[in-house]
Amino acid sequence: MEFVSRLKKTYNLEWIKLELLKTAFGKKDSYMGRKDPRLIIAWYFIVSLLPWFTFNQTILAGLLLYTTVMSLVSRVSPLIITLLTIGVISELFYIIVLVLLFGGEWAAFSSLITFTMKITIMSIASIAAFASMDPEKLSDALLSFGVPPQFSFAVSYGYRMLPILLDEYQQIILSFRLRGKAPCNGGFFKWRTIYYYSKIVVKAFYPMMLNTAKKTRTTVEALEVKGFTYSLHNKEAKKLKLSHLKVSAQDHRFILLSFGILLVIYAAGKYYPL
Amino acid sequence: MSEPIITIEQVSFKYPGGSEWVLQDSSLTVNKGEFLAIIGGNGSGKSTLCKTINGLIPHYYTGDFEGSVLVNGINTYESTVSVLSQKVGYVYQDFENQLMRPTVFEDVAFAPLNFGEPNFKEKAEWALNVLGLTNIKDKSIWQLSGGQKHLTAIAGVLALNPEILIIDEPVAQLDPHHAKEIYEKLKVLQQNHGKTIIVIEHHTEFIADFCSDVALLDQGGVLWKHDVKAGLQRIDDLLVRQISPPQVTQAAVSAHNPSSNELPITIHEAADYFRKYKRNDAGKEKHVPPLNEKTEELVRLEHVSHYAKSLKNKKHVILDDIHLSIRERERIALVGTNGAGKSTLMKSLAGIIKPSEGTGQIGPFELEKTSLEKLSQVVAYVFQNPEEMFIEDSISKDLSFFADSRKLKMEEFLQQLVTSFRLEKVIDKDGRLISGGQQRRSALAIGLAIQPSLLMLDEPTASLDVKSRQEMVKTLHQASNQVKSVLIATHDMQLVAEWASRVIVMDKGKIIYDGLPVDMFAKDYICDLAGLIPPQIVQLSNQLKLDPVALSISDFMNHVEMEESYGVR
Repeated sequence: MEFVSRLKKTYNLEWIKLELLKTAFGKKDSYMGRKDPRLIIAWYFIVSLLPWFTFNQTILAGLLLYTTVMSLVSRVSPLIITLLTIGVISELFYIIVLVLLFGGEWAAFSSLITFTMKITIMSIASIAAFASMDPEKLSDALLSFGVPPQFSFAVSYGYRMLPILLDEYQQIILSFRLRGKAPCNGGFFKWRTIYYYSKIVVKAFYPMMLNTAKKTRTTVEALEVKGFTYSLHNKEAKKLKLSHLKVSAQDHRFILLSFGILLVIYAAGKYYPL
Repeated sequence: MSEPIITIEQVSFKYPGGSEWVLQDSSLTVNKGEFLAIIGGNGSGKSTLCKTINGLIPHYYTGDFEGSVLVNGINTYESTVSVLSQKVGYVYQDFENQLMRPTVFEDVAFAPLNFGEPNFKEKAEWALNVLGLTNIKDKSIWQLSGGQKHLTAIAGVLALNPEILIIDEPVAQLDPHHAKEIYEKLKVLQQNHGKTIIVIEHHTEFIADFCSDVALLDQGGVLWKHDVKAGLQRIDDLLVRQISPPQVTQAAVSAHNPSSNELPITIHEAADYFRKYKRNDAGKEKHVPPLNEKTEELVRLEHVSHYAKSLKNKKHVILDDIHLSIRERERIALVGTNGAGKSTLMKSLAGIIKPSEGTGQIGPFELEKTSLEKLSQVVAYVFQNPEEMFIEDSISKDLSFFADSRKLKMEEFLQQLVTSFRLEKVIDKDGRLISGGQQRRSALAIGLAIQPSLLMLDEPTASLDVKSRQEMVKTLHQASNQVKSVLIATHDMQLVAEWASRVIVMDKGKIIYDGLPVDMFAKDYICDLAGLIPPQIVQLSNQLKLDPVALSISDFMNHVEMEESYGVR
């Protein structure tokens, strides 16, 4: 009981909020965070597309190991890792159940595992790339790839809104809890309690969206005044905005290193296929 | 000095789709280097008038526009918003929504960057430097305090180095201490950097202390513009439009000092004006209502401490060994600067936060063992932002939410609430679509609808105009009769003076004062420590060395008279 209450004190809604914010606002000083954002995006696309061109399990295992190490290097939040692990484990669990249920053999199991590995590599790569990236860098990288400015602005504005939305959401859930009535008798496996809270979590979305929508009226006007519309039609402004993106020596090293590692993984796959 | 920079001539404006003229034949001239306050009742067209200056009207809001506006020689009708916004900076009342980049520096550099200024970084650095924000330039916006956010919003428009700055209600959402800081910074911009500053304001005390001129708007027209001294003395004009003149001016009007023919508008002038006045009951025993010791104890906290972790995993002390007892029939004001721990204390009482250490008792419940859902039957907590209280699509559904979820029959009681809080007109509307004053009253009624023993409110009078504020204070007095005790966290010292029976001052997680308001205001060091700025009339009493201090104008008038006449009556 003591243990449970301590667990409750450390891992609560506030903790989740903090972890999410940490993930979103990145660690600018981490290994991946210091790289040119365009490079990281390119890296992400290459690493997450490669698995789909092969069935060689050695290569897949190698890629899995590689992306995992990269995500550890960029110090991803334990919350995100836990969520991912839960996802992967439950996926494995259901594969085993499925295979046993239909009396399948190793071949069926193996091909399903291959598929799971591909998905997992993609998700770990995205965590490694985006969790360490500063929202501003991400949005500027998108802009430099020729994505419309409205979209790249929306990305960075989304990050700006994230803490506001989280706060608002938390307050509204509180409103529901303070005035509502939780079931006294939880029922079998506390299903009534779980149902009650699930309902609140969904219902709280509507007031949150309405409150936020109301606030954006000023934002739209201020965008006009601060020359955002003007900058959309001005090439000089765009150039100025992207002037800080430069490929440096450490970026070259990163390219070489990644290339080398991928080469090793593919070589291993060729000579030692599982 | 006196060359005009803004000339508004015979301007009328109707919003697109609107049926009424919001501005009607408004004319106003603003000179270079002026610090102008624009005052007027709700709906008098203050914000609309200011938006004609930066071109949002008629270019962004394309309604019916007549007349002409000249800004620095440019006719706004023939210019564009992007050209004008480099001459005129505009800071909104809900300035938080004006900040749209993740960090302070990015936000301040945003406008010069958009306008393609090659030296946008230097411009942003300059603006940050002028406003003293350089040390927080790498912080995320969401980590800032309210005052810092407001300064960032100002820096964001200042970075374009405009000649004119317009600030809509700079102090509405700030505590008095931060509000004063903002005004001091604006004064620097006006005096050292030659900016022309226009504020929309209804706190006349600030106008008297900082502005040079004042313009009164009424029903879409500019009634008059005078220098501050002359303007604020026309108190009949102000009172008719629900603007309250500085407290000292009001006191002086009723005092009729025969030896002075000018009314004071600042504390400094008032101290001179009332120099010969003293308290007629000085030395007599204070008419202090005895603390009601006989009533039952409602809340008891012992050794309550709370810690929180920051983003960098540092441990912060938020509540530091709090002892507190609240009895029935108390009206308590909880004051202190932002971050002093007021909200955390209230959240602990509501069960939203479980304190890290300590024990507590609220009514029949033990604090550390009772869930938030159970506690909320005896404690009501009204949030600072009333919109977060509206979880249904009409006020009537929000009022009955508590009763409905418990299948209670409370129609009669709820009807009574609606009548006494004057909510008949808004009962079927969505809470988000009604005025600020109505929102606050509705939120309070929603809190009372759970029939709590202890009612807690967070900043119930913040950002209300004078009329709504007066109504709110009246409503709070009514609310005190419906519950056993009320606890209000507030920066509004006038509310403390007029309403509270007991005041608790917090600083850095500790309670540093707990007692009668009248005693607290007399202790300068407490006020300084907790960043409190007492109401003008209290400051004046302190300057005149009155004992006990007067808490309201009527108190001041009843007990203070001229020395010569003392003892004659």
